[in-house]
Amino acid sequence: MIEFPGPRSALVSLPVTPNQDGIARVLSLERAALEALPGLCATIPAFNRLLIEGAAKDWDPEHVEAVMGPLLERCLHETVSLIDGPTISIPVCYDPDLGPDLSEVARVNELTNEEVARLHSGTVYTVLATGFAPGFAYLGDLDDQLAVPRRPSPRSRVEAGSVGLADRRTGVYPSAGPGGWQLIGRVPPSFFSDAQTRLTRFEPGGRVEFRPIARHEYEAEAG
Amino acid sequence: MSAHATLLSPGPLCTIQDLGRRQGRREGLAPGGALDQRAFLWANRLLENAPDAPALEVTLGGLKIAFESETVIALTGADCEATVEGRGAGNWRTVRIQPGQTLRLGYSSSGLRAYVGFSGGLAAPEFFGSASIVIRDGLPSPLDRALESGQPLFWVGGSRSSPPRSVPIQYRAGPADSIELPFISGYEWEQFTVEDHVRFMSTTWVVGEASDRVATRLAGANLESGPKELDSVPLIDGTVQVPGDGAPLVFMRDRPTIGGYPKLGSVDPVALDLLAQARPGTVVQFVATDPAAARARLRRRETFFGFESI
Repeated sequence: MIEFPGPRSALVSLPVTPNQDGIARVLSLERAALEALPGLCATIPAFNRLLIEGAAKDWDPEHVEAVMGPLLERCLHETVSLIDGPTISIPVCYDPDLGPDLSEVARVNELTNEEVARLHSGTVYTVLATGFAPGFAYLGDLDDQLAVPRRPSPRSRVEAGSVGLADRRTGVYPSAGPGGWQLIGRVPPSFFSDAQTRLTRFEPGGRVEFRPIARHEYEAEAG
Repeated sequence: MSAHATLLSPGPLCTIQDLGRRQGRREGLAPGGALDQRAFLWANRLLENAPDAPALEVTLGGLKIAFESETVIALTGADCEATVEGRGAGNWRTVRIQPGQTLRLGYSSSGLRAYVGFSGGLAAPEFFGSASIVIRDGLPSPLDRALESGQPLFWVGGSRSSPPRSVPIQYRAGPADSIELPFISGYEWEQFTVEDHVRFMSTTWVVGEASDRVATRLAGANLESGPKELDSVPLIDGTVQVPGDGAPLVFMRDRPTIGGYPKLGSVDPVALDLLAQARPGTVVQFVATDPAAARARLRRRETFFGFESI
């Protein structure tokens, strides 16, 4: 489905599950759109949607729809895969002191804290979207043994580096702020000290894995 | 190199802005940029600067700058009763400054944001192709914070001997206690009830205190329908989002790039200038428009000022 929410924007919604396959199709559509519609100002892929923005001077919604319609059709039926890139490895200390919901996540899924850590760090995730806060990535899919709803009411402050999960997604809060996900561990602050890296580390379609570290390793990194 | 000028007082909030980040939204960076684009563009036009030359965005006023070099500046936007060495400097016009002189901006009695443009534009560090400070993004220092007292200022141009210039009266934005915002329905609009459609379009909204460069918050009614569970969707400038409490907000230039609450559509980007000057208590009414009409307005502005929106 293609909509026009503004004067020079088109929002394409793909009727696919917002998981790894979904973002792969969205990224395929994004590449095709950039080729077919030269002069686009911005593209933002997220989950199963693609926003494209053009210049006001040559934005023609009918043309955009005529071009994007067949491209959308094609990307829904083609075999897609994510472009191979390096897997970003993120150190995490899974500890109830640093992840205040760790024990609760374990309890509702009838697991031990250690099993939560093993399952969470045993998957290579795909970046399904970036945003919310700069440097935040929505990662999926979480092992369904770890699926938990978000907290009934968000915390007013989540510490920077907190590793959260909700539904089939996980992610790392790059800076302190409000947040509603269940927190199961913490990434050392040094991982976020360089602003440039912190802001641009994740890209839609990128690969991410979590590497468990012990409390003393976390403390050493945290200084 | 000695500074061309020193910021003696920034007032409540003073930042460097240009037209914003052309790149970076894919990575989650806010567009950033001057909130009242028209006032900003006039400042640069008066100085014959590039349309996107960095300038100061001064919220409410209270600014004081000591100049060490001769130059020409431009003052636009909210009228803060600027003075140079105690003499009224006017607004929507260029002002020639001599070395040793001090520019003072009082506190604006109407409007919110004044712009001070500098000959050639401020020299300022850039990130992702823009000098715009976006405090909420945690950009690399010093783009992550408001300007502070003692900040040295440098600009690119010399002291030109051009005659004084001012914005024709009919183009100056007057203060407004009530504004109309052209609105394009979209996003999850169809998933709200007709009652909420009517409520949104007919309510006389009031700008809330908690408004900032991220969003203008509106009070006056609560919208109750709309989808409850949503994946975050890419946003555009002026997106109207309805968070959990049902009071809509309009996203401004320091907005997030994706948003997970239900959205009704967007405000005509040209009309966001009005919202940029709307103080808490300003009355807001939405009026329906369509993308083509909004595009025509945007295009006229781009042609007049010679730029392309990011």
